Amino acid sequence: MKKPMIVFALLAAFLAAFLFALSAGPAGAQEARAKLARVKPKDFPTAPIEYTVVYPPGGGMDVTARLLAKHVEKWSGDRIIVNNRTGGAGMVGHAYLATQAKPDGYTVGVIANLMWGDAMLRAQNRWAYTDLEPIGYLNSDALTWVGPTEGPYKGMSIREIVALAKEKPATMRAATVPGSMWDYVLDQVEASAGAKFLRVPFQGGGAGINALAGGNVDIAQGFYSEFRGLADAGKVAPIAVASSERMSFLKDTPTMNEALGSNEYLWNVIRFVVVPKGTPADRKAYLRATIETAMKDPELVAEYVKAGVYFDPKLTDPARMEANLNEYAEREREFYRKTGRLK
Amino acid sequence: MEPLAGLLTGFGVILTVENLYLCFLGSLIGTLVGVLPGVGPLAALALLLPVTFTLSPVGGMVMLASIFYGAMYGGSTTSILLNIPGEAASVVTCIDGHQMAKQGRAGAALGIAAIGSFVAGTLGVIVMTFFAPAIAAVAIRFGPPENFALMVLGVVCTLFMITHSPVKGALMIALGFLTATIGIDVVNGRERFTFGSVDLSAGIELLAVVIGLFGVTEILSNVEAVVRSTVVDERIRGLWPTLADWRASWVPMLRGSGLGFFLGLVPGGGPVTASFMSYAVEKRVSAHPERFGKGAIEGVAGPESANNAAVAGSIIPVLSLGIPGNPVTALLLGALVIQGIQPGPLFITQRPDLFWGIVASMYVGNVFLLLLNLPLVGLWAQLLRIPYRVLFPLVLLLSVVGTYSANKNVFDLWVMLGFGLAGYVLQKLKYDLAPFIIAFVLAPLLEQSLRQSLAMSPDGAMIFMQRPATALMLFSSAGLIALMFRRRSNPRGESS
Repeated sequence: MKKPMIVFALLAAFLAAFLFALSAGPAGAQEARAKLARVKPKDFPTAPIEYTVVYPPGGGMDVTARLLAKHVEKWSGDRIIVNNRTGGAGMVGHAYLATQAKPDGYTVGVIANLMWGDAMLRAQNRWAYTDLEPIGYLNSDALTWVGPTEGPYKGMSIREIVALAKEKPATMRAATVPGSMWDYVLDQVEASAGAKFLRVPFQGGGAGINALAGGNVDIAQGFYSEFRGLADAGKVAPIAVASSERMSFLKDTPTMNEALGSNEYLWNVIRFVVVPKGTPADRKAYLRATIETAMKDPELVAEYVKAGVYFDPKLTDPARMEANLNEYAEREREFYRKTGRLK
Repeated sequence: MEPLAGLLTGFGVILTVENLYLCFLGSLIGTLVGVLPGVGPLAALALLLPVTFTLSPVGGMVMLASIFYGAMYGGSTTSILLNIPGEAASVVTCIDGHQMAKQGRAGAALGIAAIGSFVAGTLGVIVMTFFAPAIAAVAIRFGPPENFALMVLGVVCTLFMITHSPVKGALMIALGFLTATIGIDVVNGRERFTFGSVDLSAGIELLAVVIGLFGVTEILSNVEAVVRSTVVDERIRGLWPTLADWRASWVPMLRGSGLGFFLGLVPGGGPVTASFMSYAVEKRVSAHPERFGKGAIEGVAGPESANNAAVAGSIIPVLSLGIPGNPVTALLLGALVIQGIQPGPLFITQRPDLFWGIVASMYVGNVFLLLLNLPLVGLWAQLLRIPYRVLFPLVLLLSVVGTYSANKNVFDLWVMLGFGLAGYVLQKLKYDLAPFIIAFVLAPLLEQSLRQSLAMSPDGAMIFMQRPATALMLFSSAGLIALMFRRRSNPRGESS
């Protein structure tokens, strides 16, 4: 290989990327930048904007936020710092955003709908989900049931699995994440089918999928990005998706609703951007515009798709995004009330 | 692809100016990160993650991985010189490394640490080259019961080998467990011992505890000794390990490498656990366990090898299964995902350039690190000549900055200070601090794997007897406890 050429090419690539970030970029992009400039407040931002992620670096949420930051920087020219405020399975970061962060536009939360559960069940009325105002929708991930590719449960459909868990209660080991949608889905299945699983607690969906691949549990649930690698290699197999329609990248996997004849299995992670309540309207409008601009960039959309997510049509329209998010949140509250989790 | 052909491909990928440069840069940053107390590999990787966006996937991974293992090289430096661990995996190196420094043998300790790191790092990559897929296939079978038994064995080993008095040791282990339960329950997400405080609900930060118990405690005890003006009273004797040092060290290095590699592979394990376990084993097998804690070079060679081998071990599940076992490897995985690459069991066959490139870079990186660290030994040793009144305010400043930078949480500083004071009192009362830390580190995984095992078992606790590996480890633990009682009743055996 010609080393000097590669170094030169690399330098050139850096330079190009740098110039691209600074200058107006391709002709079609001019308009988007001009639009951003129109809503930009005179005094904002004068310092880097901090994207708070409440989960550890390297996870799905973190990757989503960093990809967003990369593209918002590209379009707006603002400096963005991604900061992971972790702890308590997201609780610490959520409480920080809702109660401690200054509503000055420099704090932006890149969060998921798991915040609702924290606000309703664990915040002890110190804060509510409405203390964080949505300014942009990013993407969604549907919870998927994954089964083994060896052993006695190999190749079973979700109907057969549920039937077996009813016939021989408390023998089939199911990975779960306690106090979260992983648990709620199992609750729903057990309640409606009269089945019973041995619930093995894990800290996240990925850990449960790994345990499935290692033969330590018989059923796991997780997101496409978490099981894709193992599924491609034939170590685990997706058997049902907890979404309203089949996923485009899992065409052969039925939804839980069609397989079990129901309409109650709708569990997904919705990733969106918030600012603390009280953020000045002009700054909020500008931040909203930066995210809308980045989300129109096909490059960012392609990177999200590559990570294995989908886009909920009810949320992709900025005008209806906030109302529909609140509707989802209230549906969740209803579930908590119905199941006695919330008085 | 055959391992050797694969490795050749890898060297073909890596031997370009840019990739070698990134590997060197990573090694350098890693060494610095290791040397600075508080700033650990996790914080450094998180900070530098955005930089890798602009690099090629190979280049980015090469740099991040070299920071990870580079930190293991640098971590021992302040442990040995100042009795303040550069990062959590070097806590145990303080015990004998700093004693060596006080005897004027800082050079030998630093030298052995660097060479041990090199040996273990290289051995780890060699095993990785030939057996990565096979090892990954076994590692994934390691379930909650095996994990539980391993953690029990770890705690029993600590109790059996590190402490002077089993009663005081058991007390410190219990305190470590209790402190670890503060915060959100790892299994069902309920708050424990938080008294309604948001700060406590995040749990007690390991880094703040380590820096408090070791760094702040050390500074406090040294402030007392006003007569001494520098760390080392004696002349610094020879910068290099002597022939006797070599003889004493090579077996611990190999043992540490094997143990560390294994502990890196298992989920939840990693460099921190590996270094503690290695120390415990070295003390156990030594013909003169009474020398430990008084400057035994084996107590540096073993753990410093183990933490490096653990890095190689922990990278295997990430690259060959897409499964991260600890937070740092989770970040490596994230770096690949951001580049649009999803590692899994097919990764090695689908992206041989990437897999073998990373493997090849680890050979190169370890050589860089050895060349980088050995000449520094003399320089670091001179640091001991700086008077206390200048050095320790600086170290305290670094500790505060390091602790704060991890989570940007002021509460962590109070934790650090509190544990510093507690450590000072406990040291006066002749309690060992290391068992506290190891219990604190192991507790969450121990609790989680116990509760998972019971949840997945239709026959309750019988699950531990039904799985051979689990049963074996639990019986060994029981055997060690029995031995401990025999030693208690036999005063001659209680030499340490």
